[in-house]
Amino acid sequence: MHSANRYDAIIIGGGHNGLTAAAYLAKAGLKVLVLERREVLGGAAASEKVFPGYTVNTGALDSGIFLPEVVAELRLEKFGLRFLQSQVVVTALQAEGGDLKLWRDPQRAAGEIAHFSTRDAARYPEYIRWIKRMAGVLRQVFLRVPPNVPHLSPGELFSWLPSALKVRALGRKDLMALLRALPMPLTDFMGEWFEQQAVQAALGAGGMTGVTLGPRASGTVFNLLYQAWNAGQAGFRASSFIRGGMGALAQALAEAARRHGAEIRTGAAVSRLVLEADRVSEVVLDKGETLSARIVLSSANPRHTLFDLLGAQNLDVRTVRELKNIRFRGSTARINLALGALPAFRGIDTNHEPQVSLAGHILICPSLDYLERAYDDAKYGGISQSPMLDMHIPTLLDDSLAPPGKHILCINIQYAPYHLRGTDWEEQRSNLASLTLNLLEEYAPGIGALVEHQQVLTPLDLEREFGLAEGCIFHGQMTLDQLWFMRPTPVLPPYRTPIANLYLCGAGTHPGGGVTGAPGRNAARLALRQIDHF
Amino acid sequence: MPQKLDVIVIGGGHNGLVAAAYLARAGKKVLVLERRHVLGGASVTEEVFPGFKFTVFSYVVSLLRPEIIRELQLHKHGLMILPLESTLTPLPDGNYLYRDGDHYRTLREIARFSRRDADRYEDYSHTMYFMAKAVKPILSLVPPDPASLNPLEIARLLRLGRQYLKLEATHLYTLSRLMTMSAADFVERWFESEPLKGTLSASGIIGTFLGPRSPGTAYVLLHHYMGEIDGSFRAWGFARGGTGGIAEAIARAAVSFGAQLRTNAPVARLLVKSGKAVGVALQSGEEIAAERVVSSLDPKATFLDLLEPGLIPTELADSARRYTYRGSSGKVNLALDAAPELACLPGVGRHLAGAISISPSIDYIERAYDQAKYGEFSRQPYIDVIIPSMIDPDMAPPGKHVMSCFVQYAPYQLRQGTWEEQREAFGDAVIDTLTEYFPNLKSILLHRQVLTPWDMEQTIGLTQGNIFQGELSLSQLFFLRPFAGYARYRTPIRNYYQCGSATHPGGGISGAPGRLAALEMLKDW
Repeated sequence: MHSANRYDAIIIGGGHNGLTAAAYLAKAGLKVLVLERREVLGGAAASEKVFPGYTVNTGALDSGIFLPEVVAELRLEKFGLRFLQSQVVVTALQAEGGDLKLWRDPQRAAGEIAHFSTRDAARYPEYIRWIKRMAGVLRQVFLRVPPNVPHLSPGELFSWLPSALKVRALGRKDLMALLRALPMPLTDFMGEWFEQQAVQAALGAGGMTGVTLGPRASGTVFNLLYQAWNAGQAGFRASSFIRGGMGALAQALAEAARRHGAEIRTGAAVSRLVLEADRVSEVVLDKGETLSARIVLSSANPRHTLFDLLGAQNLDVRTVRELKNIRFRGSTARINLALGALPAFRGIDTNHEPQVSLAGHILICPSLDYLERAYDDAKYGGISQSPMLDMHIPTLLDDSLAPPGKHILCINIQYAPYHLRGTDWEEQRSNLASLTLNLLEEYAPGIGALVEHQQVLTPLDLEREFGLAEGCIFHGQMTLDQLWFMRPTPVLPPYRTPIANLYLCGAGTHPGGGVTGAPGRNAARLALRQIDHF
Repeated sequence: MPQKLDVIVIGGGHNGLVAAAYLARAGKKVLVLERRHVLGGASVTEEVFPGFKFTVFSYVVSLLRPEIIRELQLHKHGLMILPLESTLTPLPDGNYLYRDGDHYRTLREIARFSRRDADRYEDYSHTMYFMAKAVKPILSLVPPDPASLNPLEIARLLRLGRQYLKLEATHLYTLSRLMTMSAADFVERWFESEPLKGTLSASGIIGTFLGPRSPGTAYVLLHHYMGEIDGSFRAWGFARGGTGGIAEAIARAAVSFGAQLRTNAPVARLLVKSGKAVGVALQSGEEIAAERVVSSLDPKATFLDLLEPGLIPTELADSARRYTYRGSSGKVNLALDAAPELACLPGVGRHLAGAISISPSIDYIERAYDQAKYGEFSRQPYIDVIIPSMIDPDMAPPGKHVMSCFVQYAPYQLRQGTWEEQREAFGDAVIDTLTEYFPNLKSILLHRQVLTPWDMEQTIGLTQGNIFQGELSLSQLFFLRPFAGYARYRTPIRNYYQCGSATHPGGGISGAPGRLAALEMLKDW
């Protein structure tokens, strides 16, 4: 008997992964309910009316690594999704003024690189071919549920054969090159390819957003490749934006889910999960309402799901310890500015319209050593005195986001560690803002006078607002030891929890953070294979 | 007329000597050519100042493979390893952390800093013991080729995989973490007190140009746990007579099997005829023919300096150029007029006969690294001190002492000036740092020998002064050491082989590369 409150699947969290999972489950015929704590959908990939008349991306900026498979399978374009691509992917501002523009068109990019080094320009085509091939291999791994190490059944091993063959088809040379590159420090890797530090930084720094490590740390090449896994796009990194703001992606996903019968509720915060006979029997909302479902998928971070919602008392000691040991350690902060006019960047080549030259990422990170020094501050619990700024002006590609003539500047600031030493974020919020604006003023003199509104999101705010534990935008650091079957922790089988009908489907699971839809898709497919048990 | 040689071994370091001994033992006619006047490479003892014997470069032993000791009967040839039983971490505030073979005392010591750490110490030790045991077989294994489509290779790989999947899940996870994490994060899974975390994670940075918070350093930590002396795991020791004593014992074993050893015989280049190695030419111009040649030098020498251009594929030459060395450590050897005294534990006692580690916290080491990253030596470096004369009195005149200080970080590439200009300033920084802990040091200092990475390159040919003949990073381990496709001791030139620390399983006085290379060579005969 089905009561009105009984569902096949309840999804906790209406971020892009939760909605992706919901849409896949609904599409398969399940009766699905999505519960979102906030009033807007999208989680850390939302667009909100932060300032009157402006639609601001409060979280993720770039949708370049969103899976084309999800777009196609859920027919998201039918539900209004439109990707926008800038002609220039990264405009890297130089300390001495001027910029290095990395065009989407590889030939134009190479031409621009040639102003810095002809040798680097000559190597660029080979570099992007290499990145594309390697990112293509990783994609094979990202699109699959990781093996349940060490309990591998022969069937499971066999199912990996096609992927293994595809990887092997790369050829010995590339395969070895990939194995060699993955654990390398970004600085070494970029140094092997390019001689000019401006080129190294413009191409390499993109992978470092959200990573609490410096570019000299081993394994950071993985982060670079992760940013490029939709190979093809811009060649060196995937980049695209969404018409109507990032939140429009969540809207399209929600629309797809609803079209298949899913129910989506906002302002519905889950307060706890009730167990009965080792199964989640009820989902309790903070207003006291109880709901039930055969399976529950949580897109919240693993620690919140299992400690706060399920309760550590329901877990064995080892699992508790493992969850405590997940490294979140967020170190990215965000400032959103409403600007009265488009800022003028020092020495920027005016041959191109700003709609072209400033529409992609605008990067302040003149060298990888600059980034390493920024990390040096953060390592000891301080805010980087000269942080890396990864910025975007979404209004250049989409003028519907702000009143006519006005602009939005979104700034990701790195590093701003969640764990400050000797002070706290309440004290440091204004310091972070002034430090960022002062730095910006050096590159765009007069920008301060254009600011009409500002929103500052410290890592603590990210935690409070979006439920990102320790402000980590990836739901757990993306380091080699927290990937694949080890994400979120190896003691849990991929996407599973110690409670059989409770699944994880957020960025804290394989393959990880960023707006990909992959965790939601993989988790939904796994849950569909197993739902008959519940 | 002398009989034609079967094998020439280039380089008389410990790996070259091990390879020579195994080849000679198998009945081959072997000649070892050493550039310097002494054998041993980085494993030498030299009387630098009259009466004071310095274990100049390497100074402790733990990785020497037991099968080598057994098969070459090194004990018979004079090898004697004296245990190094304790590790003392003096702290700037006058406190100290002392750990030794007495388990309960060690726990009490740790509990002075954190009761929780003491509770977890046993679990940590047990885990590392287990991990080392699980990884150890790999040290005696020729690396497989994961890209091969040869069914035998695939079967070999699957067997290896199955062996690891058979491990208990917890151990397998820990192993995966050791391969990927930073030493600091790894030890922080157990511990909270800084002196313990600092000292444990210091093992993870040895010979690397990484800080303890960089991923990849947990593996180096494990590498240092794989030691085994006389069957007891995780034991560190000091060879009687210094590490030169080890080289001498191996050399005597090689000679007993009929190998010839020549010092002061620098090799200039490999002689190649129709794609095959046929001997070597010495710098003196002398040419020596042999059926096979094996180089125990690092890839720069083996693949670039000793070969005429064009003999190897460009791709391999590129790999050899890209191979990362980045020496990051220096060595300071001191001759002392009397026993040094620690401020935290005055007097002469057993604690001076162990290792003394200047590693008060993870941040201390990380800050030392910060300076080195940008091309300066650490003003407050991590220092691993041992006082060999406390263990083996023959190392110094009666009543006097020698002190061996391994220092990190000292980057090979300085941002300003040369190492010749900076050498003494580096030495001063080390002495100043040590004096904070050994207040009487300056008053008893008779002589000092300061070795920078540049000096190591100049004297013993370690490119960029890397003590492991190349960083022990994940990109340069196992089937990727020294590079993919050439991890099995062979080279593209027929009859030309490699057997140094740049090959699997890497650096440290293990002898394993020499042994594995010799056994592989014998298969080709």
